[in-house]
Amino acid sequence: MMGITPESRILLGKELRQIRRSRRAVLTSTLLPLLLLVIMPMGQLASFRSMPAEALQRGGTQGLPPGIDPTNPVSFYTYFLFPLFLVIGGLMVPSQLATHTVVVERERRSLELLMALPVRVSDIVVGKLLAILAVAVGITLPLFAVDCVFMVVWEVVTPLYLALAFLVLLSSLACAIAMAFVISLIARDFRTANNISGLIVVPIIFVTLALMGLVPGDVKLVVLAAALLATGLAGLLAGLRWITFERYLS
Amino acid sequence: MSTTSPQAALELEHVSKRFRNGVLALDDVSWSIEVGARACLLGPNGAGKSTSIRLLEGALGPTRGRVALLGAAVGSPEYLAARRRTGIVPQGPGMYDDLTTREYLTLVQRLAGRGSVDEVLRAFSLDEYADTRLAQLSGGYQRRLVLAAALLPEPDLLLLDEPTVGLDPVASHHVHEYLRAEMQGRTTLLCTHNLAEAEALCDEVIILQNGKVLLHEPLATLKNRTHRQLRLAARQGAEALSRALTERGLEPTGGENGHVLVPIADVETEAPPLLRALLGAGLDVYECSPVEVSLESVFLDVVQMDE
Repeated sequence: MMGITPESRILLGKELRQIRRSRRAVLTSTLLPLLLLVIMPMGQLASFRSMPAEALQRGGTQGLPPGIDPTNPVSFYTYFLFPLFLVIGGLMVPSQLATHTVVVERERRSLELLMALPVRVSDIVVGKLLAILAVAVGITLPLFAVDCVFMVVWEVVTPLYLALAFLVLLSSLACAIAMAFVISLIARDFRTANNISGLIVVPIIFVTLALMGLVPGDVKLVVLAAALLATGLAGLLAGLRWITFERYLS
Repeated sequence: MSTTSPQAALELEHVSKRFRNGVLALDDVSWSIEVGARACLLGPNGAGKSTSIRLLEGALGPTRGRVALLGAAVGSPEYLAARRRTGIVPQGPGMYDDLTTREYLTLVQRLAGRGSVDEVLRAFSLDEYADTRLAQLSGGYQRRLVLAAALLPEPDLLLLDEPTVGLDPVASHHVHEYLRAEMQGRTTLLCTHNLAEAEALCDEVIILQNGKVLLHEPLATLKNRTHRQLRLAARQGAEALSRALTERGLEPTGGENGHVLVPIADVETEAPPLLRALLGAGLDVYECSPVEVSLESVFLDVVQMDE
């Protein structure tokens, strides 16, 4: 059984200390989300704001996703681009961290040191997942707050939209934690971890794109969040059902 | 109802372990070690030694059977408490390059809920390396650290998986000194390929081969049971000595450097009359000594007999 135990909390402290000391982990887990969650989306928002109202109508309005106002270029950003950035950013940070905390431990064979301590394998896995979640939340939420400030100041969204966008971000983080769990059970090395990560992330991005193009208005954010949570849950159950902890240690 | 003896510190009861690739590492194995015993787990490569250790530390689950540590079955609610009373020295683990000696030992202390980091640093002469990252320690000091971590919570039970593998003779000697001191009064299971190490540190032997227990006996009994020999040398040479022994119904074999080895059931009662008889026959016997049975010879006998 997996759960948060006193042992997993103690191991969480160890994992956080190690992530803090890994230059590569710190760089990839801060620069990538900074790019995906602030620099690129806010740059896009600035350019959409400066577009003339008829910009979306120039190529005809038939190809636009449903619910997007053809007279308001910013609506294309808020109902298509920004949720996409949120999903990619939310998925990428935990998967990068999983590679660092799980695969590095396995590659340098220090798991043997951990298994010699009075802990269960589940405590080790939960400790790592909690560390990944804590760092991912600690990085993405402030960046999302920066986005919110920009969007509120530029008056391009409603409070309801921001609440739903926040839900999408949390759902993508939850999905990514489940993904990190699967990666931790399967991946033997960096290359396998990156391949598995890609195999999982790319289909999720395609599904996100499909939902963005099919579902109108604020509802698409709710559907997207639900789809991400369902995917995460499916990954978690598959991991627990078919992949044993023995595999993690082998 | 549990069949665990209250005196059993370690127990494998009808345990089989088959891996996902189909390899049967342990095949209906049963053995137990009593509280206070110092046992060694021997066997050729692939015999199932490391699998047994990993089952006991809970890293693997048995395909069939029951594994118990200090009376607590692996996976039971009581198992973690039993693990806190167990010090484990893993076989050549990788080392963290982002944790210091003190940080790692503090982690051990917090998980075990007892022990003093400063005391163990002093006891294992690790104080000057307290702030050194684990991967930067030399091989000998890494082994000291692993031993220090195992002993920090003052465990009742020690599981040692090849504690000196890969160490130079000086570092091995230091580890043996620490082990000799720390194993006093503690139940110990030593898994090793080093038979001299096993003989020096343990008094009970379990030999595994092809996932089965070939033998489980006290070392002293094993040595007594094994065919004893007397080594003889005479000024007239090995040939004359062998002839005289054969005339007395014995079956001598050639030893090294002119010595002759002769099987003998009881050295104390049979050697003196034999020596008198040889001297009486005019042979100038200048050496007559019992050959100490080594664990190595016992091990090779048992394993080769099974093959």
